[in-house]
Amino acid sequence: MKRNTTSYKVTQYLMFAGPATVLFCAVVIIPLVYGFYLTFTSWDGISASKPFVGAANYAAAFGDGDFWVALGRTLIYSAIAVILVNVMAFFLFFLVPRGIKGQNFFRAGFFIPNLIGGIVLGYIWQFVFNKAITAIGENLNIGFLKNSWLSTPSGAMACMIIVAVWQYAGYMMLIYVAGFMSVSKSLIEAAQIDGCTQSQATWKVIVPLMRASFVQCLFLTITRCFMVYDVNLSLTNGEPYNSSVMAAMHVYRTAFTNRAFGTGQAEALILFIVCAIVGVTQVYVGRKGEVSA
Amino acid sequence: MKKFITVIATITAAAMAAAPVMAATELTVFNSKSEIQTQYEEEAAVYSEEKGVDMTVTMSNDPVITHMGTKYASNDPYVLSMVDAKDIYSLTPEHGIDLAGTDAAADTDYAIEIDGKVAALPFCVEARGVMYNKTAIEDITGEEFDPASVATLDDFTALLDKLVEGGMEAPVAIMSEDWSLAAHYLAQVVEEQEDPEAFVAQLLAGEADIINNAKFNSLMDTFDVLMKYNYAQGGAAATADRNTSEDMLAWGDVAFMFGGNWDWSLIVQSESDSEMGMMPVPQNTDDGSNEKLVGGGSKYYFIDSSVSEEQQQAAIDFLNWMAVDPEGQEFVTNTCALVSPYKSNTLEVSDPLSVSVKAYADAGNLIPNYNFFPDDHITVVGALMQKYLGGELDREGLAEDLTEYWKGASIIEH
Repeated sequence: MKRNTTSYKVTQYLMFAGPATVLFCAVVIIPLVYGFYLTFTSWDGISASKPFVGAANYAAAFGDGDFWVALGRTLIYSAIAVILVNVMAFFLFFLVPRGIKGQNFFRAGFFIPNLIGGIVLGYIWQFVFNKAITAIGENLNIGFLKNSWLSTPSGAMACMIIVAVWQYAGYMMLIYVAGFMSVSKSLIEAAQIDGCTQSQATWKVIVPLMRASFVQCLFLTITRCFMVYDVNLSLTNGEPYNSSVMAAMHVYRTAFTNRAFGTGQAEALILFIVCAIVGVTQVYVGRKGEVSA
Repeated sequence: MKKFITVIATITAAAMAAAPVMAATELTVFNSKSEIQTQYEEEAAVYSEEKGVDMTVTMSNDPVITHMGTKYASNDPYVLSMVDAKDIYSLTPEHGIDLAGTDAAADTDYAIEIDGKVAALPFCVEARGVMYNKTAIEDITGEEFDPASVATLDDFTALLDKLVEGGMEAPVAIMSEDWSLAAHYLAQVVEEQEDPEAFVAQLLAGEADIINNAKFNSLMDTFDVLMKYNYAQGGAAATADRNTSEDMLAWGDVAFMFGGNWDWSLIVQSESDSEMGMMPVPQNTDDGSNEKLVGGGSKYYFIDSSVSEEQQQAAIDFLNWMAVDPEGQEFVTNTCALVSPYKSNTLEVSDPLSVSVKAYADAGNLIPNYNFFPDDHITVVGALMQKYLGGELDREGLAEDLTEYWKGASIIEH
């Protein structure tokens, strides 16, 4: 059988990658294209007819002030959360260095918050902020703990960030640990033989070689923070007075609660593009100076 | 062995062939009233057994339209769906059958008619007003509490002062949920107008002078009093926890809370033995609205037009059973503890809030719901009301923002 014929190649492709291609098309490509098509209709989400309205939904999306406010809020939230998550993750990575007793237990402990679903996690923290912290404030007579932080716009934002850090820091820590593991011991030893102190070896040799881990962690946290919905829903539900509505929640409300499906879909597309630009730029810039041993 | 396999295969084939013949009519029901899902499922099992249908009840916490949209998109609609009144106007013109001529339709005044057809029939009667803890009030005042004695805001305020003097630090709880503030409380500004439709038309045209509207001011005067005596203040009021508020009412830590008879499902969990009831929102008015609750038929059923005739008939039979059959009436009134909207159901309701609602409904003292608010009314207006409740917005600011909102709004077509 000739191996360089088109039919042979097609058969081989279908055999090995066919099922994955079909699944990928079914759950990613087709919904994406269909969603794009819906942005040109005034579909209400249930009717059989989907009247074509041209670019009206995009005009509505660009004119929807609340969407841009929510997007701006998401940018601020993401910027702060991404920095704090990664700082905390790196701190945890250092806190549980190789060789200490019970290191796997600590690593697993820090990672566990990431295993709890966002909805459950939001409700747990809502209880902590609304009941536990206020009870401590009342009993110990500490002024700023007496009222729930979730009751003010800035407090709600701070709570969202705290929960993001708690949720993702352990996960990112594992990626840093994996990155550290991949740094060859011989390089560290060579650096030490050459007279590097522990700190110099860390900052001049280990950290540069872990650049790929940083890129990966930043990309993951940026995309997750941008698309946050579950924690937003269960922790604040946009309250107080819609001041903690993030972009994804606004999109959901526009599409499903307000039944402007086309406009919601158009806003989702804008959110996707913004998120993709930020994420890809970060990966491009991050990868540019990547070094390898 | 071969013989055994042949016997098994024959039995299996016979069973499979007979299955379509023996299969009971499938009656899929959508329930949007989450608090009765367990009772509904249990009743469905009994009903299936007795009537020879295969009834399944499904509940979803998604917005009704989202869930129904998924079902219709997958070409698997429910035979019978219970949705909110406003959803009926968008669902039934395309998907519902005419329910005129059914026993249930003939037995209620709350059916929804669209274009001369009976599009939907109600499951229960629900109403809004101020819930009170009679026991807590009487414990402090030492006098029997008659809700009619506090119909005006002046009398109501005097009673609140008396409760505070008597040691109840804050006699009011306000629910901070956007749906309660926008779709239930502020909605009364529209519903209590002489002509709600005309007022909404003015709102849409930007011509309604909200800040000088008598009904708006009357209801906001009452809201200000409720805010003043609320147990939570400022930002904490705007995010008050509903369960905590319901608990406080049940236990008599507060005496009054605006809500509806659906709140009983939460209050009852507190296992308090306080005597409770519902009364109209006190207002300094002489238009009679302070003697009426706002409400009517709630949670409406429609039957899908694309399912088989047998299934449609099974759904009609169920609706008739629920409305006029003693067992069905028992299910609505006693099992679900709801007020039946069907005249032939004369059973006494068990929960005290529903007792109040039934008394007002029977006396014709219900101001009808306005079911055509824009889809984004709850989220947008709810946030404005939360701002007002949290002290971030004054009455003029609220009126201005409401005027702006309504200018760009579109109501449910009806």
